[in-house]
Amino acid sequence: MKQAPSRLIGWLLVALFGMFGSTAAQAHPHVWITSTSELMYAPDGSITGVRHAWTFDDMFSTYALQGIESKKKGVYTHEELAPLAQTNVESLKEFGFFTFAKADGKKQKFEEPVDYFLEYKGGLLVLHFTLPLKTPVRPKVLALEVFDPTFFVDFKLADKDPIRLVGAPEACKFDFQRPNDGAASAQALGEQNFTDGGNVNFGAMFANKITVTCP
Amino acid sequence: MRRQLYRALALGALAVTAVLAIDGIVHVLAAQTPFGGARPPMNEQAGGIIGWLLAKQSEFYREMSSTIRAAKTDGSAVWALLAISFAYGIFHAAGPGHGKAVISSYLVANRETARRGIALAFVSAMLQSLVAVLIVAIGAWLLNITAKTMCGAEKVIAIASYGLIAAFGARLVWTKGANFIRALQVHPPAPALALASVSVSHGHVRHDHAGHDHASHAHHQHSHFDAHHDHSHDDHGHAHAHDHDHTGHVHDEHCGHSHGPLPSELAGPGGWRRGLGAIFAVGLRPCSGAILVLVFALAQGLFWAGIAATFAMGIGTAITVAAIAVLAVSAGGIARRLSGASDGSGALIMRGIEFAAAGLVLLFGVGLLTGYLFAEPLTCLQSIL
Repeated sequence: MKQAPSRLIGWLLVALFGMFGSTAAQAHPHVWITSTSELMYAPDGSITGVRHAWTFDDMFSTYALQGIESKKKGVYTHEELAPLAQTNVESLKEFGFFTFAKADGKKQKFEEPVDYFLEYKGGLLVLHFTLPLKTPVRPKVLALEVFDPTFFVDFKLADKDPIRLVGAPEACKFDFQRPNDGAASAQALGEQNFTDGGNVNFGAMFANKITVTCP
Repeated sequence: MRRQLYRALALGALAVTAVLAIDGIVHVLAAQTPFGGARPPMNEQAGGIIGWLLAKQSEFYREMSSTIRAAKTDGSAVWALLAISFAYGIFHAAGPGHGKAVISSYLVANRETARRGIALAFVSAMLQSLVAVLIVAIGAWLLNITAKTMCGAEKVIAIASYGLIAAFGARLVWTKGANFIRALQVHPPAPALALASVSVSHGHVRHDHAGHDHASHAHHQHSHFDAHHDHSHDDHGHAHAHDHDHTGHVHDEHCGHSHGPLPSELAGPGGWRRGLGAIFAVGLRPCSGAILVLVFALAQGLFWAGIAATFAMGIGTAITVAAIAVLAVSAGGIARRLSGASDGSGALIMRGIEFAAAGLVLLFGVGLLTGYLFAEPLTCLQSIL
């Protein structure tokens, strides 16, 4: 009988730590983004950057537009949305623009975004912006991932033409995986990853993986 | 002894079953509505229970906007909206966070009753809903401020909430720490004991211990204010040690479980005010999801539907939190009985558990405040707005 309490306390502690640790994995999407991306190539065949067009879900679009004045009700011009677009790209910086590129396995850095604007289309906000690579690269394999590691934002590649290569050498081919593909399940994280508090890469299993190969 | 244990286990199992049953009902309800739409396939690779919870709540959440739209033309869609919101609340709270951990730790630390745990869960969830409604009603509806400004307000409220949790935890640590140290000093350690009020007369408890089994005392203390523990400790610590009656549980059942929520229990020492700190600390911070739904409903000209949805969400949240609180209380109860049945050191162990639970509340508060535990990493969508 004397053993019992300590064992029980052990279990209680496990339970408490389970709750405690897993608090970090609380993340769940509140924002949905449908993404299309263009990979931009220089005439010499090197990749210069990525141009995203991200369409927000209707609930978030409405939320973001709250309090924003427009001349015509229900119509927002690029100018009227300019301050919001500015905030968007500035805030996204902290999260690496949810865009992660590797050229032949080597992590690439991006410059500040350029040519950004918000478009209001069919009740949805679309954020357009270009992320120039710090240094253009010409890898054999470019891996591009678009996702939120904390999974607050759920990224989904558009159903139609989610990826385009703009000005790429003819031999270049691309392929992509959606998070729902079975292929991504190899990355599935077990419960352990949730309870040990390491949620840093939690969203990785929801990553959209784009691979461009140029021989 | 054994019966107690079974009872506690059964109670816990019941709570879990209730949550699952409600989920099933809600799911069927929601599926029957014409507004549910095609359910997206679940994210299988989001491993295990948490992945399933995530997939579920995303699913319900995403249905909310289409249902609100539908409600514009078809009033009956509001029922579907309520069902979906309720289900979302249940699943949302089943993930970590939402003060559930704080409430559970608080309950264990204070040896509160399951009943009080349920009450705390509901009142704090309702407060949370109310705060969300007020933010959007004042901010968006009356003042027409931007989402970014509203975010700032949310942030201030969140920080206040975390600060309160930390302060609340600090106070618990202080009192529980004192109890723990006292228990350490009084050797052999005093059993957990408090003034009984309900079915045992004061005089009886205070001066005539020998006839009572430990468990019954342990049980009574549920309904008593901390300050009373403190006395009873000093006063009676020694009288009790090693004086156990293992058949005493019959008595325990009588006075421990058979009575309803006596007014004296709820309004007793400390009364409702006792839980107020916990309620405010936890309920102050609204959930981003509710704010989004409210703003969306407002823009659709259906603010009232958004408000109804928010409270439905709150009820769902409360049910899950209450279930977990009951589990925590039951676990604490089992620990108390087991430790009470061993020997005098049981009380010390219980004091230790309470102290640890108090410490957890403080840790949560500090963790949330410093951002280490920030449940929602992008503070009220600030990363995008």
